[in-house]
Amino acid sequence: MAEARAKYRTEIQQMMFVSGETGDVSAETTSMIEGIVQQQVMEMLKRATELAARRGVRTISTDDLIFLIRHDKAKVSRLRTFLSWKDVRKSAKDSDEKGGSGGGDAGGVEDFDLTANDPTLGTGPSVGTRNSKNKKAKVGLPWDVSSFYSEVVPEREDEEDEEEEEMNAATLQRLKQADERTKGMNAEEYLHFSECRQASFTFRKGKRFREWAGFGLVTESKPNDDIVDILGFLTYEIVTLLTEEALRVKAAEDAVRRERGGDAEAKLRGRKRRREPGLFDPPEEARTPVGAKHTLEAYRRLQRPELKSRYLHHVPKGNWQRPLKLI
Amino acid sequence: MSSSTPARHLPNGISRITNGTGGGGGARRTASMTRDGAIGAGLGEREAEEDAAEDPVQMMLRERWAQAEAKIAALFGTDGQTRRASRRPTPQPDGGAAHARFEEHAKTSPPPKKAARQIDDDYGDDDDEEEEEEGARRSPLMAKSKAALPNGLSPRAVRSPAPVSKPPAARTSTTSSSDQAKSSEDVRKQLEEDKAAAAERAKRSFQAMFYTLESDRDAMLEQQKLDELDREVENEISGGPNGTQGAQQDAAASTSAPTQGTLGSADLGASSLTLKHLIARIDMKRDMVRASDNQLRTLISEVRKGRSKWASEEKVGQEELYEAAEKVLMELKAMTEYAQPFLVRVNKRDAPDYYHVISRPMDIGTMIKKLKQLSYKSKREFVDDLNLIWANCLKYNSNSDHPYRKKALYMRKETDKLTPLIPEIVVRDRAEVEAEERRQHSLDADDSDEEDEPIMASRGRKAPAKGTGSKGAPSAAQKAPSVNVDDASTPEREVKPAVHASASHLRNEFLRADSEMQDASSAGFSTPPPPGTATPNINGVHASGTLGSQVDVTEVDGMGNSVISAQSEEADEDDPGFKTWKQVTKKDRALAASDRNRLFRGEHLNVDEPALLRSKAAMRRWMRQQREISADKAIHDGDIPEGDEQQDSSAPGETLAEGIEKDEDSTLPDYYNPLSAIPDLNERWRWTTDSEGKVVPQSEDWMRMYPKEQYKSPEGALSQRMKANMRQMQETRKVCSKIGIVKQMQLQGQTYQNQFQKYEPMPFVEQDVGAVVVSEAGPLMAPWVNRAALQSSIGKLFYHAGFEDFQPSAMDTITDLAGDYFRKLTEGLRAFREQPKTSTHAPRFSFEEQVLHALYEGGQDIEGLETYAKDDVERLSTKLGVVHDRMRSHLSDLLRPALGDNAGADGVGAFQEGSEEFVQGDFAQEIDEDFFGLRELGLAEELGLESLSVPLHLLQNRMHSAYQAQNQGPTISTGIVFPQPEPYDPVTTESLPKEIGLIQDFFRERLRKNHDESLVEDEDLPQKQRFPKPRLPPTGKISSPRKRPIREQQQAAKKKRKLEETEEKAKLEKPIGKLRLQVPEPNENGVDPEKDAEANVAMMSPESIDGS
Repeated sequence: MAEARAKYRTEIQQMMFVSGETGDVSAETTSMIEGIVQQQVMEMLKRATELAARRGVRTISTDDLIFLIRHDKAKVSRLRTFLSWKDVRKSAKDSDEKGGSGGGDAGGVEDFDLTANDPTLGTGPSVGTRNSKNKKAKVGLPWDVSSFYSEVVPEREDEEDEEEEEMNAATLQRLKQADERTKGMNAEEYLHFSECRQASFTFRKGKRFREWAGFGLVTESKPNDDIVDILGFLTYEIVTLLTEEALRVKAAEDAVRRERGGDAEAKLRGRKRRREPGLFDPPEEARTPVGAKHTLEAYRRLQRPELKSRYLHHVPKGNWQRPLKLI
Repeated sequence: MSSSTPARHLPNGISRITNGTGGGGGARRTASMTRDGAIGAGLGEREAEEDAAEDPVQMMLRERWAQAEAKIAALFGTDGQTRRASRRPTPQPDGGAAHARFEEHAKTSPPPKKAARQIDDDYGDDDDEEEEEEGARRSPLMAKSKAALPNGLSPRAVRSPAPVSKPPAARTSTTSSSDQAKSSEDVRKQLEEDKAAAAERAKRSFQAMFYTLESDRDAMLEQQKLDELDREVENEISGGPNGTQGAQQDAAASTSAPTQGTLGSADLGASSLTLKHLIARIDMKRDMVRASDNQLRTLISEVRKGRSKWASEEKVGQEELYEAAEKVLMELKAMTEYAQPFLVRVNKRDAPDYYHVISRPMDIGTMIKKLKQLSYKSKREFVDDLNLIWANCLKYNSNSDHPYRKKALYMRKETDKLTPLIPEIVVRDRAEVEAEERRQHSLDADDSDEEDEPIMASRGRKAPAKGTGSKGAPSAAQKAPSVNVDDASTPEREVKPAVHASASHLRNEFLRADSEMQDASSAGFSTPPPPGTATPNINGVHASGTLGSQVDVTEVDGMGNSVISAQSEEADEDDPGFKTWKQVTKKDRALAASDRNRLFRGEHLNVDEPALLRSKAAMRRWMRQQREISADKAIHDGDIPEGDEQQDSSAPGETLAEGIEKDEDSTLPDYYNPLSAIPDLNERWRWTTDSEGKVVPQSEDWMRMYPKEQYKSPEGALSQRMKANMRQMQETRKVCSKIGIVKQMQLQGQTYQNQFQKYEPMPFVEQDVGAVVVSEAGPLMAPWVNRAALQSSIGKLFYHAGFEDFQPSAMDTITDLAGDYFRKLTEGLRAFREQPKTSTHAPRFSFEEQVLHALYEGGQDIEGLETYAKDDVERLSTKLGVVHDRMRSHLSDLLRPALGDNAGADGVGAFQEGSEEFVQGDFAQEIDEDFFGLRELGLAEELGLESLSVPLHLLQNRMHSAYQAQNQGPTISTGIVFPQPEPYDPVTTESLPKEIGLIQDFFRERLRKNHDESLVEDEDLPQKQRFPKPRLPPTGKISSPRKRPIREQQQAAKKKRKLEETEEKAKLEKPIGKLRLQVPEPNENGVDPEKDAEANVAMMSPESIDGS
């Protein structure tokens, strides 16, 4: 297991770096994160399989996966954007091999991510590519309004969805974060950063991921590429979330510690960092990477049940354990 | 008596709200008492002076009296005296004011002045007529009684009133008598009114005062004695009363019929007023009537309605006399309190020596017997008998303290009051009368005076004249109370009719309660049975006073002296009010008491006895009394006690049924007999009918209904938006179904109009609960109703969430869950609400806190709710709108090809080119239905075909072919892009040289093949001859056998085109055929886009080139 745990150490490190943890993260932390992610993925697969089984299908579909995270609107919207761009990329690759591969050094998710997230591209991916020959197809969800009706009707171009804007807003928020973080970078640093951004659990590691996620064990069917891509996306999200939360935990811990016995300067620094846990704060000896306990605490916080889970808690359930919360 | 006084002073208004306050009642009482006092004072004055009265003194006194009277009248304004007084002068042109005043005196004061009265005898007549009318106008009750009276009127009334006949009558016959009669008539009227007023007052005082039941037993016992007496009398008369009476009546009938010729003065008995007028009319025009008197009389007697039991054809005057006598007797008898010792013969055991002292015993029972045996021949005999009773009593009980003495004196007083009612008639045989009449007729020639006498006049008329002539004094006594003189309406000189009428009424009123006591006429009479006794007024007492001085001398021997003393002796032993009460209500009380007694005799309930039941009439009376009381109270408040008005106010408003049913008139106040009391009925329980007689259901308005709309979702912004969303969904679904139809059309080769089902959703209507009556304002707690309501809400939410339909089990589950959840939520709220208060007694949580806490416990917060409202409702509506637009545009996209290639952007063009098959044919109209089902399918609107009907198959064909064509290539032709160029001139031998040289040979050869005819464009060829259009397989390789020529053609065309382009534009038209950009070539366009340029050129080249 330990070996298995270590499977994604670099990727996790890279992801954490992108998420703000600049220090050298210990293996313990990464393996813990990896374990958490694995658990999450397995849980997702399991639930998705259940959902599919309820529909009477053995293979899980993307919809099943999306359904699991449907309450996190921002995540769903990002996922949809991701999927649509994936479509675009695929069709572009089909129709015009050359044009599709011209933009980035690598295809697939990373390519998309890079193009999408690159602040140098200016106004953002949607605007830039809208005018291109290949239209971006929206990924419809079964619980969307259009599914209310028996006929499926192609979308019109001029329709501007309110929700899409919101989606974009969420994406842009994240982009802005990255932008802030990369403001003061020089070219090499930025290159490193962008490389890190391409870290993925799945990309070009399909086999490893399948084994790691327990495909065939958790779910009988063999999920297709889309699902793997979605899972890659989601794992990335999980790591990011965990890292950010852990950083927050650590910051709070540091603040408390400083307040107890820290000097004025440390306090000042701490406040500053608290305010802006900048990636490129002057390196300091006091700064330590997030540890396992921080990660654990972050996980705990993230596992805190939502208010909505109380909805039916008056319904007698017998010996009932709170289900794992998907982050 | 004294024991009852405190009871009488009980404050009223305890139990009855309408009856004003005790103070009011007391005031009323004192008022009436003061009036009595004043009257008494006046009386005393008068009596002192009366005997020695000479004319001037009398005049003076009377004037004074009149003044006092006027004052009193002004004070109390009762019974319209003042009104009449003011009216009087007008119809008396020569009378003058003094005379008017005098007349008033005549009314009020007993001894009329003969001299003065002589002058205006006839005017008095008129006055009376007027008064009669006035009376009729004044009170409907009176009018009713009048109408109900026809049989009560005496036959004399028939003869009397003719205006023509009156003046001579006044002149010839003893003027004094008529004068006196007149005055006595007035007095009687006056008395009657007073009596009525007194009864009315008494009645009202009953309302103002509570009387107890203590004297009821006495009344009952007395009444029983009376009844026994009656029975005894009845038994003693042999053959029974009915037999003789019936025999008499039979005799009367038999005689009246055949005696037309013989009866000179037929006794017509009572006749109605109309009859009276008729007779007057006949009398006036006597000479013009051919019939003899006898005939007329017979006629009228036949017309006449009925006759009293005393009527007899053989005995003239008997009916009148006996009516009156009986009435007087009954009235006297009814004064049980005093008359009781005189009812039956004195028993020897009781008074052994009685028959020694009294030689001619007499008693009322004996008198009744005698009356029934018709043994009285004249009034005198009757009155003598009456007085004999009292005289006997006084004689036997010589001790002045003896209680019977008082009673006898009282009875005599009453007798004196009543006797004037009896007309002075001597009953004679008809034969005798007729003989006399004949004799008179023979005298007519000489005696002009007698001639003017009315035809109808009979002997009876003379009787009063004689009577009054012989003894003028008694006429004064005629002022004694008489009942409803007004109604009798006979002229004053005719005493008898009036008396008769009143007598008949008296009879009516005095009939036993257990016999046919109440006939219809009595309904209108508010006068209680012994009204005369009830008048404590001037007139009655005064009359007796004068009577005492005058009558006694002539009629009763030795009694005159004792009268005055008797009066003084008989001081009022009672409070006058209470006495009035006892007298007025005695019979009714007796009845009521006996009823009760029967039922409860022996201190227990007698089951076999008839129950005491309330009757409609009694209830009506009760209501009337209530109304009177309330009106009375109102008057009281205004300080205007007015008897007549009172009566008026009570008269209207009675139901019609009152006239129809027998309405027992009871004098008992409403509280006395609670059996008929009507409880205050709630307005909403009233049985009311509208103008059409239908019952108005008041219940709905008044019932406590469960408030409406309680089970509907309140109209909030959110619910409205949700409703709008659902409507939007329905609309979109409609569009959707259309799209489905069109798509099906595209795929299917053939469609049928009943193939598609139209989607016609029903609008959502929320159901409310039906009308439910609830007992209180609390919630309606039927669980299944609430569950159903929740289910409807959940169904709405389902639909709103996009489910068009759902399984009932799903709904049930959700309903249960939701119900459970809400219950939990409510419990939480209650728990927070009922937290113990803090030390400052403030609620522990504010309302907001309660709600928020409860929500939190339920796993919800404001944010979540807001998110729901925003995302799931508001945003959904925009999304729905977007989808709807999308659907619509897609539908129009789908439909566009069906409308033709040249239909323009929105398909309008399809119908502008005269494409006749699209225009609705008459056939569609003839069938008069949506022949093609387009409308039914909802497509008509989309196609702009509201008024047009396109055959479905045509539409379908186009749709199908267009779809097929469309699907072969991505390019969609949309309408006419350019105007069509003019067709090229056909290539002919003439135009051949104009072509370019290279092609001339080709054309020439073609022309030669075509026999030098002009070449036909390929497209213009008939369908069969047309060459199949070349189709390019997806490979792009042309493999058809015709491929090569086409290639050549294409190349040739290309070349040609190039040449043309290089050449002048003007020559363009020559070589190439039609150039159509949009026609069915899209397939070729679409197949190989990479060769677009060439292909296009190739397509453009007309295939007419390759004719070979």
